[in-house]
Amino acid sequence: MSETSEHSIELRNLTKRFDNTVAVDDLSLTVMDDETYGFLGPNGAGKSTTISMLLDYRRPTEGTARVLGQDPHTDGAQMRARIGHLPDRYSLYDNLSARRHLRFVIDTKGAADDPEVLLERVGLADVVDDPAGTFSQGMEQRLALAMALAGDPELLILDEPFSGLDPHGVRTVRDIVHEERERDTAVFFSSHILGQVELVCDRLGILHNGRLIAEGTLEELKENIGADEDASIEDIFVEYTNDSVRATTEGVSR
Amino acid sequence: MRWFPLARKEFRGIVWYKGTWLFTALLVYFGYQPSYRGYRGIGPDITIAYIQNFATLLLPLGVLLLSYRSIIKERRSGSLKIPLGLPLTRTDVLLGKIAGRTAGLGASVLVACLALGSYGLVRYGLFSPLRFVAVVLVTLLYVVMLVSIATAISAVTRRAITATTAVFAGVFLPLFAFWDPIIRMVNNTFLGSASGPQGFDPGGPYFLLLRLAPGNAYTVLTNWILGVGNTVRGYEGVLRMTESPAMYVNLTMVETALQDPPIYLHEAGGLLILLGWAAVPLGLAWVRFTRGDVL
Repeated sequence: MSETSEHSIELRNLTKRFDNTVAVDDLSLTVMDDETYGFLGPNGAGKSTTISMLLDYRRPTEGTARVLGQDPHTDGAQMRARIGHLPDRYSLYDNLSARRHLRFVIDTKGAADDPEVLLERVGLADVVDDPAGTFSQGMEQRLALAMALAGDPELLILDEPFSGLDPHGVRTVRDIVHEERERDTAVFFSSHILGQVELVCDRLGILHNGRLIAEGTLEELKENIGADEDASIEDIFVEYTNDSVRATTEGVSR
Repeated sequence: MRWFPLARKEFRGIVWYKGTWLFTALLVYFGYQPSYRGYRGIGPDITIAYIQNFATLLLPLGVLLLSYRSIIKERRSGSLKIPLGLPLTRTDVLLGKIAGRTAGLGASVLVACLALGSYGLVRYGLFSPLRFVAVVLVTLLYVVMLVSIATAISAVTRRAITATTAVFAGVFLPLFAFWDPIIRMVNNTFLGSASGPQGFDPGGPYFLLLRLAPGNAYTVLTNWILGVGNTVRGYEGVLRMTESPAMYVNLTMVETALQDPPIYLHEAGGLLILLGWAAVPLGLAWVRFTRGDVL
């Protein structure tokens, strides 16, 4: 089943509890298919848990998720065929070369990509046949990004894509996000590297203690808290996620 | 067959791993047990019986060890996120893991069988090729079953120590190492037939319980193929019992203990038992693995 949707991601009252802990609390958000959405939040805010529910690694306690118009649980395999995912806290297969990693992903997706072309895009053209066990953290991240790009995905879900990257790697990720946007790929990503988020995202959502406490363009977020026009994204983030300030904010600022 | 690339990756991982081929060498080393009694009993087919020698304890131990971390290790390291992020269902992931591991370990076991077969052919002359093929096929089914059990444990456990404990304390020790004394105790306590001056006099349920362990089911099947007798003892033990029954009063065969053996003690039942051990643990693991959170 392949449905067209103007919403890449649609979450309604999504909640995830682990025993007595509420990791994601009544989260509703929509990501359009023509935007780059930055999903921000402090450590432990629930970003990775939310992404794990989008990919069906974990299942919601309550609420619903639709990704590219499909249910991650019932249509998971078909849905993931249309998605590229760069996970957080993953590990590659040490004995497999970069080429074999790509071949595994390309074959599973039934795609026709050339591993070498994908590796060249992420700057790994000269280590195509080296085992991933010899890679630095930044090289692993580039390889994982190349794997996410396989199969010409309609939606890229990037969880902390700048982790472990040097400035060249950061620029590569940013350039690829821009290139993918030009190819009409929607991009949803979480990151702590706020300066980069500002450079690539059309819209931002800030998650804190499992709840979406703010959402909008950078300018809208500034307006909502009365920040100066020259306030940095870091200032804004700290303002929103400061509990004492947040307590005075009613619901989600949009 | 969406899982084929995953199975291929698993297969490559196993065949590139040096431990797999060390395992093959150990299988050959422990399988090769020349025996005058064995040769006198079954002639050149002793070569085929060498396969049974390594399948008693070493094969289950090795296959369980080389398989039980297949999912739990990736779950802990985070590499399970790679296949789970691809167009594979969780069922595909289980199937791909089992198919790839089985193919890799099956290749390792097949090489050991062929090495022993080649040596035996030179040493003892031509053995029955049909029996050889049949024993090899049953041994490969045994490998499928062992990989299924190990993968099932790997799929449902959250911590490596739990998986290790489950494999050794929950599977290997009770089912492969100590099953016979456990069943003897059960028989003596609950089934009412005990060994005494007149010898051991068990009934049909005792024989059935004994062969419910997967290793014993395998031995019953391969004894059947070798034509040595309907019992869970290996071929060498059967030949010993046949030659000197007075010396082995506590070791019994269906044919000698029961006048009219029930149909459930037919050797072919061992096949159903092996299939059951392959399907039931895996089915339970599938239910658990495909529901709820996988990471």
